[in-house]
Amino acid sequence: MMERAMEQLNVQLSRLTRSLRRARTVELPEDNETAVYTLMPMVMADQHRSVSELLLNSKFDVNYAFGRVKRSLLHIAANCGSVECLVLLLKRGANPNYQDISGCTPLHLAARNGQKKCMGKLLEYNADVNICNNEGLTALKYDYFLVSLLLCDSKLNNFGVWTKQNIMLQTVLCLLDSGADINRPNVSGATPLYFACSHGQRDTAQILLSRGAKYLADKNGITPLDLCVQGGYGETCEILIQHHGRLFQTLIQMTQNDEIKESMLRQVLEHVSQQSDGHYPRILTSLAEVATTNGHKLLSLSSSFDAQMKSLLRIVRIFCHVFCLGPSSPNSGNDMCYNGNKTPRSQVFKPLELLWHSLDEWLVLISTELDRNRKNPSSSSSGSEIASLLLKQCEATDNSGSAPKIPSLMDPQIVIETEVYADGEDVISMTANRLSAVIQAFYMCCSCQMPQGMTSPRFIEFVCKHDNVLKCFVTRNPRIIFNHFHFLLECPELMSRFMHIIKGQPFKDRCEWFYEHLLAGQPDSDMVHRPVNENDILLIHRDSIFRSSCEMVSKSTNEKLKQGIAVRFHGEEGMGQGVVREWFDILSNEIINPDYALFTQSADGTTFQPNSNSSVNPDHLNYFRFAGQILGLALYHRQLVNIYFTRSFYKHILGIPVSYQDVSSIDPEYAKNLQWILDNDISDLGLELTFSVETDVFGAMEEVPLKPGGTSILVTQDNKAEYVQLVTELRMTRAIQPQINAFLQGFHTFIPPSLIQLFDEYELELLLSGMPEIDVQDWVRNTEYTSGYDTQEPIIQWFWEVVKSLTQEERVLLLQFVTGSSRVPHGGFAFLMGGSGLQKFTVAAVAFTSNLLPTSSTCINMLKLPEYPSQEVLRDRLLVALHCGSYGYTMA
Amino acid sequence: MSETYDFLFKFLVIGSAGTGKSCLLHQFIENKFKQDSNHTIGVEFGSRVVNVGGKTVKLQIWDTAGQERFRSVTRSYYRGAAGALLVYDITSRETYNALTNWLTDARTLASPNIAIILCGNKKDLDADREVTFLEASRFAQENDLMFLETSALTGENVEEGFLKCARTILNKIDSGELDPERMGSGIQYGDASLRQLRQPRGTTTQNKQHCSC
Repeated sequence: MMERAMEQLNVQLSRLTRSLRRARTVELPEDNETAVYTLMPMVMADQHRSVSELLLNSKFDVNYAFGRVKRSLLHIAANCGSVECLVLLLKRGANPNYQDISGCTPLHLAARNGQKKCMGKLLEYNADVNICNNEGLTALKYDYFLVSLLLCDSKLNNFGVWTKQNIMLQTVLCLLDSGADINRPNVSGATPLYFACSHGQRDTAQILLSRGAKYLADKNGITPLDLCVQGGYGETCEILIQHHGRLFQTLIQMTQNDEIKESMLRQVLEHVSQQSDGHYPRILTSLAEVATTNGHKLLSLSSSFDAQMKSLLRIVRIFCHVFCLGPSSPNSGNDMCYNGNKTPRSQVFKPLELLWHSLDEWLVLISTELDRNRKNPSSSSSGSEIASLLLKQCEATDNSGSAPKIPSLMDPQIVIETEVYADGEDVISMTANRLSAVIQAFYMCCSCQMPQGMTSPRFIEFVCKHDNVLKCFVTRNPRIIFNHFHFLLECPELMSRFMHIIKGQPFKDRCEWFYEHLLAGQPDSDMVHRPVNENDILLIHRDSIFRSSCEMVSKSTNEKLKQGIAVRFHGEEGMGQGVVREWFDILSNEIINPDYALFTQSADGTTFQPNSNSSVNPDHLNYFRFAGQILGLALYHRQLVNIYFTRSFYKHILGIPVSYQDVSSIDPEYAKNLQWILDNDISDLGLELTFSVETDVFGAMEEVPLKPGGTSILVTQDNKAEYVQLVTELRMTRAIQPQINAFLQGFHTFIPPSLIQLFDEYELELLLSGMPEIDVQDWVRNTEYTSGYDTQEPIIQWFWEVVKSLTQEERVLLLQFVTGSSRVPHGGFAFLMGGSGLQKFTVAAVAFTSNLLPTSSTCINMLKLPEYPSQEVLRDRLLVALHCGSYGYTMA
Repeated sequence: MSETYDFLFKFLVIGSAGTGKSCLLHQFIENKFKQDSNHTIGVEFGSRVVNVGGKTVKLQIWDTAGQERFRSVTRSYYRGAAGALLVYDITSRETYNALTNWLTDARTLASPNIAIILCGNKKDLDADREVTFLEASRFAQENDLMFLETSALTGENVEEGFLKCARTILNKIDSGELDPERMGSGIQYGDASLRQLRQPRGTTTQNKQHCSC
């Protein structure tokens, strides 16, 4: 109570002081007429604080009209541009549409005096633009530009496009009816048409154009068409073109301007192409012509490779998009009018034929050059000689100071223009990138005429025809594959020709390529925070994670799952990437739960593969398909799973044949026996083996032939290799074929087989399960040494120093190299398993001879490390072995 | 912003190896002589906007390799050319003798009514002349070609050569002999031609009514 009293006292005191200081009372007179004259000067001077204070607690009617013309205070504020007071009055309920004696609203006055901010505020408070004053004019009549500027104001964004369009239209009509200059530009040279276009206001643009508005650029040379394209306003563009036919070519030429957003331009062209039967072929033919010129420029060696290449591919992309839309009226599908003649739809590709013809001639030329070099090997010098020669030339041209203008390209060899005589080698290196980019464009054009998933026979024929040249290109510069030969990923029949080159490329590059292509069809794969539809959330029960996940995933569609996954656990709030990660983690762990009998552990206990007896679970094949889906989905969304499969199962996923060494993962003893058969002459041993095996099928032994009539074919020294292969396939593949097939069926719904081929089994493990963390300290603690080595040996010290300096990836390679697995077992290196029980990581000495590389015996986890003379040599040899020799075992 | 022009013409520069085609183009575009020029590989490209008879014309010029081994590649650029500079070297009768072949190529592959100007290049090397002016001009007359002797070194007649050819094409457009709208004519309208554009039928009359106000 005391505080309240004190507070009131303070308020009164401060009022008193203020009153004294300003020499007037701070209370508003009771009567409106007196009050309004007190307030008016303050409003005129925009003394909003004073006005606010006075209005506080007063009973003054803010809409009180006074004086000869019966204006309200809001009129005064609008007239004088007193924005703060204006807002204050509006907040206190002043009527924005109050008309004075001449019928003018505050908006009229603001517009007449160019009070831009006031107009904005009045519009915000729903001032009606359509009220006419006694002269029959709306407020907008007074100043068109201020209104249009207001419309650009972001503060007015809450108006919505329709309202804006309406205001604009009203304005323009008033303006025109009152005989104003339709082309009057504002200070920056922008005309009404310019404004209409910058907001994509089709109707307004239409009226302006039909009443003869000129097509003028602003002072910066930006034209109304530029604005339409920037905003992607197809309808407005269409109107501009209707009125100014030449703009059509300008629009087409815009495809060469890399400052314009491709998506917007495409949107515009797609819209325009659908407006009439004639537009579709006309746009495409023009695009094809532009693309052809661009392609020819790209093939000119002095042009900028980068700019021309990007430009060509952009145009061709747009071209293909528009083409795929089809003509506007479907009935004219196959034969439609072009220049009055009935011509097929494919006619639009005709201009491009010139470019494809040049491409073909270029490749033929290069093929002849290659042949000439081959026949005349004396003229082609070795690589290093060429390089030094070229370097000299480079210096020479630099020194001469008049080096021809040559763009900087990826390959330094391409940069160099030859002196006097252009050698065949140089022609190839200078044109390879350019030709490859044109080939990419050619493929795009060929495939957009084909149904989804089919490769154009013409393109296949093309690749076959120029096989040797294309191979020559990619051998010289493998980057070409990733940059331009995307077609390989879509055409398995062509892929096989280049596979060996692709496999030789760094894992990282192939990974990028893989994802680039995998996600190419997804419209907003770059959108991280996609709004999630409540129905698309996978609601998972933690206590029945496997079953509920299976249900949810099968209910959803593949397309939705590709777009994004949102998971919520039943009864929990959490959502987002973290939950998705957790879901993949625990679900993958659940898939290998022995209770489901889907997967069995390998001999060393760290990896899994399908259980040949999984049929105890009657629904097992469905579950395998589900497991495949989950793995595919995880890979698709770059999520890691918590399962490690056997080497052989990764091979199954990749479609690579298994080898007898893979048997060791399920039966190391048996693998040793197979090895022994291969290593020894079995002719005189009397093994009496036939091409058959006895298998235990739920307790009953059955003899299964390895090939037709196998039970009566003896295994001999000559056919033992075949026997080993067949027996391997039986153990590793045939026994679990249905499971593998079901798994792959699920996996391939998200990951096309042609794409996964880019990787080998080690890389696939890395992609699915991620890079394992390797604790070097633990590794050192759990390592043994034999045949002369011990921890004190300098070479061992060197070895660990090298290991510490390796990257995580290289350490994994080393582990893989020695143990055959990239995994550290659960519990650390102490639990490393060998062929027969625990087997620690071992380093053994080997006598050093020059160039000898380290070798390993994976079944006993032994690294055979030659006694290298220095740490440098050790490091060098070890890395060579890791990078080249981590697969392709030779049994030592 | 992009340059504006009324028309775009596609031009070719053809002729035997070493006659100075690239130097002519370089002189035309850069206004200087190209020292230590190499053999062109394939086809090179250059463009310049010129003013011909009150019209701005963008010349898109394809400079072809003269060497025989590039012949099939260069031929693939001929189609849709509106004009060509056929170049020989006045100090080399061999290059002059090859003209007939080049001419046949151009007329069959490009278009029968392609505007061709014959350029006897290296005019500055008059001392080593092997082909007389009279002889070449007679050849030009017989084959319905324009003719100039040029020097890429001094720049003499280089500009004239290109302009003369462009002018001929413009005249043909004015007389209606050439239709720029026809596909493969080697001619395109530029955006500057907007000013005197021919509006689509129907809207033209309407526009006029309102323009008068």
